[in-house]
Amino acid sequence: MFKVREDEPSYALLPDVKAPDVNQYGNKISLVDEKDPLANKPLNINGEENLANNPNRYKQHGFYFNADNCISCHACESACSEKNNLPPYLAYRSVGYVEGGSYPNYTRLNISMACNHCDNPVCLKGCPTRAYTKFAEYGAVLQDPDICFGCGYCTWVCPYNAPQLDTERGHVHKCNMCVDRLEAGLKPACASACLAGALDFGVVETTPENRDQLQTQIPGFPDTSITNPNIRFQQTKTLPRELTRPDSIPLKYERDEQGQGEFKPKVRKQKQQKQWNLSKLRSREDPLVIFTLITQAVIGVFLLITLAPLLGINAFTATTSPIGLPVMLWTLLGAETVALFLSTMHLGRPHRFYRAFNNLRYSPVSREVAGVAVFYNLLGLYTLLATFPGLLTLFGNASSTIITSTLAWTGSLAGFVALYFMHKIYRIPARPFWNHWQVLTSFYGNMLSLGGFILFVYAMLTGATDTVVSKFLSGIIFTGLAAEAIGLYFHQRAMNRQGGEGAASLYEQSTRYGKTWLLRITLLVIALAGSVILYTMGTESSVLTILGLTILGLTLLTGSLIGRALFYVLVIPTTMPGAFFWRNKGFVEHARQTGLAKMRQVGVLQHEH
Amino acid sequence: MLFGRKNKNPIKIADKGVVDWKYTTCGYCSTGCSIEVGINTEGEAVATRGVGGADVNRGKLCLKGIFEHELFRSDGRGETPLIRDKYYKPFAKTDWDTALDKVGDEIKRIQGQYGRDAFAIVSTGQIMTEEFYTLGKLARGVIGTNNYDGNTTLCMSSAVSGYKRSFGSDGPPGCYEDFEHTECLLAIGSNLPEQHPIIFWRLKQALEKRKFPVIVVDPRVTMFAQMADIHLPVTPGTDLALLNSLAHVILDEGLEDKNYIEQHTSGYEEFIKVIEQYDPLTASRICGIDEDTIRNVARTYAKAGAAMTIWTMGINQSTHGSDGVCGINNLNLITGNIGKPGGTSLSITGQCNAMGTREWSSCSGLPGYRTLENEKDREEIASFWGIDKEFFPKKRGLFQTDIFPAIETGQIKGLWVVATNPMTSMSNTARIRKTLEKLEFLVVQDAYADCETNEYAHVYLPAAVWAEKEGCFTNTERRVNLIRNVVKPHAESKPDLWIFNQMAKRFDQGKKVRFPESSSDVFEELRQLSKGRMLDYSGMTHEKIEKQRGIQWPCPDGEEKGAQRLYTDGQFAYPDKRAKLVPLPFVDNNERPDDEYPFWLNSGRVVEHFHTRTRTGKVGNLNKFSPTPYMEMNPDAAHELGIEHGGYARLTSRRGDAVVMVQLTHRVSPNMVFIPFHFHECVNRLTLGLLDPHSRQPAFKQCAVNIEPADDQENAAIRNRAARGY
Repeated sequence: MFKVREDEPSYALLPDVKAPDVNQYGNKISLVDEKDPLANKPLNINGEENLANNPNRYKQHGFYFNADNCISCHACESACSEKNNLPPYLAYRSVGYVEGGSYPNYTRLNISMACNHCDNPVCLKGCPTRAYTKFAEYGAVLQDPDICFGCGYCTWVCPYNAPQLDTERGHVHKCNMCVDRLEAGLKPACASACLAGALDFGVVETTPENRDQLQTQIPGFPDTSITNPNIRFQQTKTLPRELTRPDSIPLKYERDEQGQGEFKPKVRKQKQQKQWNLSKLRSREDPLVIFTLITQAVIGVFLLITLAPLLGINAFTATTSPIGLPVMLWTLLGAETVALFLSTMHLGRPHRFYRAFNNLRYSPVSREVAGVAVFYNLLGLYTLLATFPGLLTLFGNASSTIITSTLAWTGSLAGFVALYFMHKIYRIPARPFWNHWQVLTSFYGNMLSLGGFILFVYAMLTGATDTVVSKFLSGIIFTGLAAEAIGLYFHQRAMNRQGGEGAASLYEQSTRYGKTWLLRITLLVIALAGSVILYTMGTESSVLTILGLTILGLTLLTGSLIGRALFYVLVIPTTMPGAFFWRNKGFVEHARQTGLAKMRQVGVLQHEH
Repeated sequence: MLFGRKNKNPIKIADKGVVDWKYTTCGYCSTGCSIEVGINTEGEAVATRGVGGADVNRGKLCLKGIFEHELFRSDGRGETPLIRDKYYKPFAKTDWDTALDKVGDEIKRIQGQYGRDAFAIVSTGQIMTEEFYTLGKLARGVIGTNNYDGNTTLCMSSAVSGYKRSFGSDGPPGCYEDFEHTECLLAIGSNLPEQHPIIFWRLKQALEKRKFPVIVVDPRVTMFAQMADIHLPVTPGTDLALLNSLAHVILDEGLEDKNYIEQHTSGYEEFIKVIEQYDPLTASRICGIDEDTIRNVARTYAKAGAAMTIWTMGINQSTHGSDGVCGINNLNLITGNIGKPGGTSLSITGQCNAMGTREWSSCSGLPGYRTLENEKDREEIASFWGIDKEFFPKKRGLFQTDIFPAIETGQIKGLWVVATNPMTSMSNTARIRKTLEKLEFLVVQDAYADCETNEYAHVYLPAAVWAEKEGCFTNTERRVNLIRNVVKPHAESKPDLWIFNQMAKRFDQGKKVRFPESSSDVFEELRQLSKGRMLDYSGMTHEKIEKQRGIQWPCPDGEEKGAQRLYTDGQFAYPDKRAKLVPLPFVDNNERPDDEYPFWLNSGRVVEHFHTRTRTGKVGNLNKFSPTPYMEMNPDAAHELGIEHGGYARLTSRRGDAVVMVQLTHRVSPNMVFIPFHFHECVNRLTLGLLDPHSRQPAFKQCAVNIEPADDQENAAIRNRAARGY
């Protein structure tokens, strides 16, 4: 256990100050009482079984940040990195800043931020592996890298960029509140290292000596209703009306004169021309682009072949094409296998993939994975039975129909539900650009359009296209594309109205990726038009149908691919402002492009994978 | 919600396995923080922590100190001595004897051929006091060159010169504890939070206990300027006019301490004649600070019961650096603010042992604040070292900044550079390259083989760094503190003390003079030589220093503790025991912005780096905060020129050009840009470095540049990347 030194300075000792019963969010500060089974247990840090004797051990603790005083000396960040032995490319605590005014009436507001050990830890809820624990001791939210499989979902849901995905080591790690120091009665390393009287630590809602305020907000800090973070601020000095960020995120903060004078994030528009930046569509999430699109397409096909007979369409049954159907099903199964493989390999620790189901209670990731897994297995079974119908005869004719149709319907349902949870993954308040029902229309829309298109090709290949089939499928494709288009329209409107990070993503969409976005919309419109033409055309001319289908296919596939890639690269999280080099996405990109990142001491990993 | 407690793994928190903590003093700046280095069972240095009971830092460290243990295994360290005939040929590895013989032979050859002073030595503020003293003994007493100086000419020379001119001697009279007594703090040209974070913390602690006015004079809106009660955004290079005007108001309004002036100063008559010319209106037109503010500051300062001034490079690195220091001293003398708690002129020194070199290296004279010009001093040292007193020159030779021009014009043919990197640190890089090319023989002694000056070396001697050896540093408040040996020197590198001692053996005279091998034996000589002098070390030993976590001089034999302040009795070092009020007419000789070069170029430090980044550029957790050079530029000015945030700009001056990444911020005025000085092939490609007539310190912070967007941004990025190896 951490030891208090003989000459330990008093500023490093945890004060014993009386705290109120509930915090500003109305939650209890005492997390358990002495009789609770969770109380009076050793924390078992590095296997040590001592029981600390801290009177406030079961009270929620948190950081206190006096923004009036921070000078951005980096001592807190460094003390943290030194104690936790962190490599230069990541940090549990970071200091960023916003600035405003004009020379010499210039103000820079520095903000030091780590984990806020929230009352409502969304990281914990989001984590599919249950690597997170909120402890009764100090209310610390700790993450266990040995459980984590490196999906990085907690880094998406956290509004403060607290969990750090270490792509080199393949797992997440984060601020541990220095619970080893707390057990010894010492403040965390960062708070003890502060050189300006800015960062402090104690039981939440207690004001340190010489401080007045207990604010929950500060310019640049995300909406506290998302997680009920345990950090309190002081910020008394008058700030300029407008504060800008030194990093590349196109956001600024404006004082809301009509409201309480709080600062609201606004898009920082510059004279930027529409660009392509096609190469920048590639990201760490590339496997997810492929995984989501393939899964949606495969579920779409399966759903449609299940539904079609209800409408009297028998083009996709085994009876119609006893060879064609199994071939297609095996192709789908193969594609989905590739998709699942890609998404698994995208994990930092792929061999721990089975832990994805650990958190069905809270995590949309667990639920999505479960849904896709059920669907995948049912698809497999269905494919097997479609290929070897002889197997069914073992059960007798009557039950074979029931089995097939049960498999078809449960599979379709599983797929449908899986896609719902897939969409839920992205409904993250900390990522406003994603947090809109457009994700659902896009996912279900792609399910229909891609599924419909594949079936159309299948029908053409098996010679099963008649007018009914053609109209059915082009209608489905149209519906999917239209749902996507409507979703996108309302999404744009909503993002513009709500401002902040969502609007900033939209601004990036219209500038940095402006031409790419136009192409994506054009492709969508062409595909929509294509589906209408196919619908009206019927099947008189197979040459024209093939031509139309080819154009539709190309526009649909390219459009979906670009659209999905944009979906991932455009999102701007609600994290705190960065600095000019550190925590600046723009500099990270620049360092990778120019080769600066090849020097490890630049603090940027050359490759993220 | 308390979730998933059953069957959990133990909580894992990094445990570095420290089994022993060893006492040292930080090797970066002159704050003098006590650091303990944690050693694991393998004997590796794995952690650092501030010493809780040390008065200077009281357990705190800045980020550089926090990662100081990583120095020992950082990239670029020298492993073996290297040797070559010509600087443009590749180095070959060699052994110590061959390398040292070669250096000895070359020194003898050059001195024999061109005269004793044709071989110059440029040292540092980075090595230990015992090593400085030994180098001085070698340079002055054995090799016998008068062209021997330290890189302190680039940082503290003006403070030394100013102290000498005002008080008759070098030696900062105050201490950090003065913050706890002062009623007004004036900080001129000091970015304390960034350059000396721990001293800033001491100030902040004092302010938490008791509020007093803080006045910051700086052309940039630093964090210090922002927290100040009054910020004076002075026009670069005009501090002297401001200081004269402050004195003008004080004397004009009768706010001075007449008693103190009468009893403890001289030269009032000449002084007042110059001061009369600097009424606030006249001064405001020179320094850009309005006359009301000047009056307000002067009154606040004079009326405070105790007031103190601190300064750093904003004053020192100027064409009137020495005058600026005298101006500060004048201000404190007329208000009676010297030698009392909270009243002082405290230069915040740059390097960990800049004070040690000032005291003991013999660069500017002879050890222990003795001078070559003083016959008694020459006699004392000659007899102590056992050499002929006539061996010493009777007048100090060239400063570092005059040694390089003397190489340029051929008077100096050989150079020994110790723990400094003039290729990056001196102004006008192109000129320095040309100068170094001309040397017949250059030996570079440094911990880092990739230190850029090594490009032109004929012999490279790998030195041990920081706590790979043992000895003392003196800090800003005259506190002598100890560095214990923590780990063995890297590869075949050797402590500087060992190198100097071995070098002495290469000379006949060196065999006669005693060169003790251990640093505590050298320290014994310092005690003897300082006995009864201003910088009395005689009451100190290494053990006592460690026990007290540093001792301030003077600490005479028999005293338990050192003295916090100098001149407490108002008795100064001049023969008449009075301080001199120096008359300081201001002449503006700076290269000011004009139509051709419309921007001021300012340079300075950032908190994460030290000097030329040979150390901090390799510690990722420091370097990541500014891994590549950048320029702060005003967005309004940039907008007109089409220069973008995060893009590259090309700067030109009358010396050359530089390509640098742009950070747009209103921290700087529309006609000024700021570039950190740490980066090789960057700001010093542009700087003029006009020399101060007294201190020979270059004015790094004032010159004129033109700025344009780099026309090919991609090429600019490539050029920037290629400009430096780390």
